Amino acid sequence: MMMMKFLFMMIFMIPLCFMKNMFWLVQMMLFFMMFLFMNLNLNIMCFFNMSYMFYCDIISFGLILLSIWICSLMIMASESLFKLNFYFNFFLFNVIFLLIMLYLTFSVLNLLLFYFFFEASLIPTLLLIIGWGYQPERIQAGMYLLFYTLFGSLPLLMGIIYIFNDLNTMTIYFLKFFNMNMYLLYISMIFAFLVKMPMYFVHLWLPKAHVEAPVSGSMILAGIMLKLGGYGLLRVMIFLQEVNLKLNYIWIIISLVGGLFISMKCFCQVDMKSLIAYSSVAHMSMVIGGIMVMNYWGFIGSYILMISHGLCSSGMFCLANINYERLHSRSLYINSGMMNFMPSMSLWWFLLLSSNMAAPPSLNLLGEISLINSLVSWSNISMILLMMISFFSAGYSLYLYSYIQHGKYFQGLYSFYVGSSREYLLLFLHWFPLNMMILKVDFISIWF
Amino acid sequence: MLTNNNSNKMFFLFILFFSTLISISSNSWFGCWIGLEINLLSFIPLISNSKNLLSVETSLKYFLTQSLASINFLFMILIKFSLLKNFDMNNIISIMMNSSLLMKMGSAPFHFWFPNIVEGLSWMNNFMLMTWQKISPMILLSYYFNKNFLIFMIIMNLIIGSLGGLNQTSLRKLLAFSSINNLGWMIFSIMISENLWLFYFLIYSMMIFMMISLFFLMNMYFMNQLFINNMNFFIKLNLLINFLSLGGLPPFMGFMPKWIIINFLLINKFYFLTFIFMMTSLIIIYYYIRIIYSSFMFNYFKMKWVNLLMKNNMSLINLSSFISISSMILSTFIFM
Repeated sequence: MMMMKFLFMMIFMIPLCFMKNMFWLVQMMLFFMMFLFMNLNLNIMCFFNMSYMFYCDIISFGLILLSIWICSLMIMASESLFKLNFYFNFFLFNVIFLLIMLYLTFSVLNLLLFYFFFEASLIPTLLLIIGWGYQPERIQAGMYLLFYTLFGSLPLLMGIIYIFNDLNTMTIYFLKFFNMNMYLLYISMIFAFLVKMPMYFVHLWLPKAHVEAPVSGSMILAGIMLKLGGYGLLRVMIFLQEVNLKLNYIWIIISLVGGLFISMKCFCQVDMKSLIAYSSVAHMSMVIGGIMVMNYWGFIGSYILMISHGLCSSGMFCLANINYERLHSRSLYINSGMMNFMPSMSLWWFLLLSSNMAAPPSLNLLGEISLINSLVSWSNISMILLMMISFFSAGYSLYLYSYIQHGKYFQGLYSFYVGSSREYLLLFLHWFPLNMMILKVDFISIWF
Repeated sequence: MLTNNNSNKMFFLFILFFSTLISISSNSWFGCWIGLEINLLSFIPLISNSKNLLSVETSLKYFLTQSLASINFLFMILIKFSLLKNFDMNNIISIMMNSSLLMKMGSAPFHFWFPNIVEGLSWMNNFMLMTWQKISPMILLSYYFNKNFLIFMIIMNLIIGSLGGLNQTSLRKLLAFSSINNLGWMIFSIMISENLWLFYFLIYSMMIFMMISLFFLMNMYFMNQLFINNMNFFIKLNLLINFLSLGGLPPFMGFMPKWIIINFLLINKFYFLTFIFMMTSLIIIYYYIRIIYSSFMFNYFKMKWVNLLMKNNMSLINLSSFISISSMILSTFIFM
């Protein structure tokens, strides 16, 4: 009952998208829904608010909150669509449809329905990238996104139906009583989530999709779509524990070494959004490592890093778009010396980039420390890889900051807004949960 | 056929429907054969138009291939009556009978006539060819099939249907190859149960009907025509939804029959076959998306010399697209 009321609130927002002058009202309604959702009773490490097909436990709660938050911030960031009258009705419908699909992904009890909404959330994302993106390469980006994700998730469908035929149940709650000890089932179940996360060898769709998407598409991709993979892994590990103990070193090694290579590749990027996209892959590589190790600190660290990375990356994409709207370029050669023109924006660049490099007091710090603890407890040698990944993440975050803000500005600039209060509010709403939630982390880090 | 008016077509259409009913409801193999022959005879006047040379050639090719298959079928029936008195389904005669029926349907490896003929027909005739003409061979297939042979045919259907469409630009040929691919799914479903085949067939023909009526109303036969005209936004959305639904992507209606067939595949432990079903379905989605690029991108290169603005006066198609989106939810009202 409690969960269904939010679903119906979102469904009834759809007619609101098509009425005149309702752009900001939809955003306000999403904020309103967010505050209502926070008031759900939250008990720890059990499934609560369970009704016929919905439930909510601690992981779902946090990720649904994050998705509603990011969807409302997406609408705030896309004001230029409204000003230029570029199909904003359909854009609002797209955002709300995507939010409904994400909400349902995180809150249904049935594993097959989870798959159904997991796949269904791809269609509005594809429409966002190809419909509102601004470069011709977006077609190829959309194809890469669709086909990498579908290639991974069709074996997941096979695995889920196999589980249904074997266990005669699809309820996620009951899966903890079973133990499926098959290698092929294990690979087909987790491959979809590894592609979505993304892991190093199957990460090619992510830089393309993040760069070619408009700001709202980048925000939702970095904010939530990657976390769908993490959420799926957290759910599916429950009944695949034995096989995972034998095979997890493969995924941990691929993702950690891959994270190292990707972090080094960040230093070679010229495109701002491409740099932020590659840093997403590097952070997610640590998340994969943490989940695969399967100890308590690993799960906690990956969950915290998922939430904090969602907010941080989404904020950085907003900043990149703020620069893009003024200079019409994402290149680091042109965006330099911004501190001369927009000093307040430079404060926000610093705050969000310092959270990206896991400086205190951000939530990323807690996530990375928990992950470092869990991975080093699994094997001492991962210390080297983790040290390098953390060091390089500090490196490229500072590199991005100092290239954009310091130095001589590009002489071809004419005139632009310094920074409207909508943009400052957008960035504040990204930064505030990120750096203030560190004051009370027991509700996301103590699961029993 | 002196004139080419609607009453002639109605007459032959009636006989076409009746012939399928004769074929599937007879209690002897001869009755089946009679139905197939009447089917062929009544379909030819529907597609041949004496003023159009391409039409005449198409109807001639159709007649040749289908009568060859029918003769083959008759011969195998007679051999079965005279030489073999058993009911064993796994022998050479069942392979031959299945082959002749597969050739009537246009399934691989006897599919070479199918894209050729589809290119020569108009959209409504194509619709008849792709949906109604498959009913009687399918049901006859279910009476005496050879499981191993049909599994091999399914794999060939899937691969040829998916890879054959990759280099096409004609919309009719693309739908022909997609029809060959869907034949693979349908052959498997009829091996499981006739009800399952009926379910898949009904949903498939509804999706094909929506797409073909969309192309018919816009008079489009080739892929480059999709980019030239100024389509209304809702028409583009309809095109998008219909093709994604045909590809089997959630949350559209086309996902449901594929999901149920995968369920039955895994119950019967056909693991590798399921993998082939899925991967060929990915290739099919690739060329569907190539068709609907124009409807994904809201602003693209529009020609200035084409002045027609297509209004959206197809309320039936809008309703059917709405059903396509929401049918998964609506189906829970029926089944739960």
